Amino acid sequence: MKQILVFVLFAGVLCWLMFAPIYKHVLIVRQAVLQKEADYLLEVGASGAYGYIDSRMIEQSRERLAGRGFDPSAVEYTVTTTSGEDGTNPQRPVPRGTGIRLEITYPYFRLFEIDRLIGITPPDPASRMSASGVKMSEYVPQAGL
Amino acid sequence: MYKILLYVLISVLCMQVLAIQIDEERALHTVFFLKHGLNRALHAAAQQLDEDLLAQGIPAIDEEAAEEAAYRYLRENLRLSESLEPLPGSFLQSPVEVLAFDIINIDRVFPYRYSNGEHDFEATLHRPGVVMIIGAEYPRVFRLIKPIRWEIKGTAELYAPLGE
Repeated sequence: MKQILVFVLFAGVLCWLMFAPIYKHVLIVRQAVLQKEADYLLEVGASGAYGYIDSRMIEQSRERLAGRGFDPSAVEYTVTTTSGEDGTNPQRPVPRGTGIRLEITYPYFRLFEIDRLIGITPPDPASRMSASGVKMSEYVPQAGL
Repeated sequence: MYKILLYVLISVLCMQVLAIQIDEERALHTVFFLKHGLNRALHAAAQQLDEDLLAQGIPAIDEEAAEEAAYRYLRENLRLSESLEPLPGSFLQSPVEVLAFDIINIDRVFPYRYSNGEHDFEATLHRPGVVMIIGAEYPRVFRLIKPIRWEIKGTAELYAPLGE
């Protein structure tokens, strides 16, 4: 009888011990995948061949993230430039010397929900993790070539 | 009664292992975060052409502009203030130190072998370039692992879209 009582008392903590590491690992990996995606988009977008991050690249990026288990419609991309011009227009690429700034955000959803078992109030599920970077564009117009 | 004690001991042990795992995973991601920030800072610095020399057909680095660009992009990417202290919302908790910043300009003989014995870094540059080494401490969540300090080293060569 006493043993059952002890088990019931500790059941919440035991559940947390078994499953919390997985949630924490998912959180760290999601953050890392977002950062890698931001790095990759900047690498391609700021290269001499493009000089912009347009909606087509963002669409392809969403597909890549969906392949990693993200909800593609919840990922948000913000592209700005250090000079204030539009960084998403393929017709007018950002010239060399100007930086392209990219921020990708994704909601935490209910990843911290399990922490309730040990009495920690989770943050708002709508708050977002983010990954960002600024890279100088290499694009030079190839006039007359 | 001893079973309660056993439960408590196992719980504490598991929580400690979990804390160590989280911290070590994050510490490793910090390396990539710092390295990519540094790479972008160097990339911006290595794009600063000296226009006067370029007019004579010599692609060289404008040293003042390069240093300014390197620091500006490092601050923007790692979210640091003017004095390289972390801004609110930055992942880092302690200031970033620039341990070395060297510009290898056109006055050297290429290929140039750069070596920095103090920080154990060597690189061969085929064109003018920039070398930067930064040091930063990983912000630990728990106090179970020893403090980790990363020294991140990077180099970039002058990027000139003029052909070789």
